[in-house]
Amino acid sequence: MSTETNTLTINGKEREFPAGIPRTLAELLEGLNINEATVVAEIDGRIIERQNFAQTHLSAGQSIELVRFVGGG
Amino acid sequence: MDELVIAERQFHSRLLIGTGKFASSALMAAAIEASGTEIVTVALRRVDIENENDDMLSAIDRSRYLLLPNTSGARNAEEAVRLAKLARAATGINWLKLEVTPDPYYLLPDPVETLRAAEVLVKDGFVVLPYINADPILAKRLEDIGTATVMPLASPIGSNQGLKTRAALEIIIEQANVPVVVDAGLGLPSHATEAMEIGADAVLVNTAIATAADPTEMARAFKLAVEAGRTAFRCGPRASSKQAKASSPLTGFLRDD
Repeated sequence: MSTETNTLTINGKEREFPAGIPRTLAELLEGLNINEATVVAEIDGRIIERQNFAQTHLSAGQSIELVRFVGGG
Repeated sequence: MDELVIAERQFHSRLLIGTGKFASSALMAAAIEASGTEIVTVALRRVDIENENDDMLSAIDRSRYLLLPNTSGARNAEEAVRLAKLARAATGINWLKLEVTPDPYYLLPDPVETLRAAEVLVKDGFVVLPYINADPILAKRLEDIGTATVMPLASPIGSNQGLKTRAALEIIIEQANVPVVVDAGLGLPSHATEAMEIGADAVLVNTAIATAADPTEMARAFKLAVEAGRTAFRCGPRASSKQAKASSPLTGFLRDD
C-alpha cells in the first residue's frame, strides 16, 4: 500500500497516520488534542458545520483546514 | 450618549475594540470591560497543530459583546469571501468587518477588491462593515450596494498618527447615510475625540489600547474621549476664526474713551 492511503493534508502540511487515518473529523481533532468547540473546519474547500464533525467521514488524501479566532483589529 | 444603530441593532457605546496585540487574554478582557464597548473584532487564523493553545474567545463574554470577525490576511476578494464564510460558520452570526489589505507595509485596503467582495457578501446575507481608505466615492459606492457602515481609516493601521485623512473623512461623514466608523490609526484619546467631534458615528481602536503600558486605563480614557467628542458634536460646535472674538463684554470699561 502506498503511504498516500494514510495521509491527510492538515493546514497545508502533509501528515501521515501509520495506523490509518482517523474515521471522522471529530476523531481527528480528538487525536490532535484540539477542542472542537473552538474550531472551524474546511475539507477540500467545503466548510463543515461543527454539529457535523462527528458524522463527517475522512478519506485519505483530503486537505483539511482547521482555523479558529485569534486577537485581531 | 445617544444610541448608535448599525443594521437595525442598537448600541449604547460608540467605541469598537480590536482584540489584537494584548499581552494576555486577561488584559484583553479587562480592557474590553473598561472600554464600555459592545462590539469587539477578532481575526481567523490556522490552528497551530504542533503548539496547541487555548482559544482566546473563551475570555470574551459573548452574551455581552457582539463578535465582529474580520477578514484580515485576505489579499483579494476571493480570500475575503472565503474567510467570511469560515467566520460565519464559527460564530453563527453574519456580521463581518471586511478588510482586504494586499500591501504588508502600509496595510492600506484595496478599494477594488473590497468593493467586489462586499457585493458578493451583501448578496449572501452578510452585515458588511468595510474597512476602506478615506475615499468619499468608494464610501458611496459601498453604501449603494448595501453595506451596513463604512469604516474609513484615520491613518495606517497601528500607526498612531491620528486623523491624517480629516478633510476626506469630513466629506464622507457629510455624505453618508450609513454610520461612519473611523477605523485605524487613532493613537490617542484626543484623536478619537477629534473623530467624534467632526461627526463620526463611532471609532474602532486596537493598537493604542492593547499596546499601552496600562491597557485597562487607556481603554477607559478612550471611552471618555469618545463620549466627550460625541457630546461636543451634538452641542453644535462653532467654526474657528483667525480674529479674536471677546468672551467678556467690550462695553462699560472703567475709563471714558
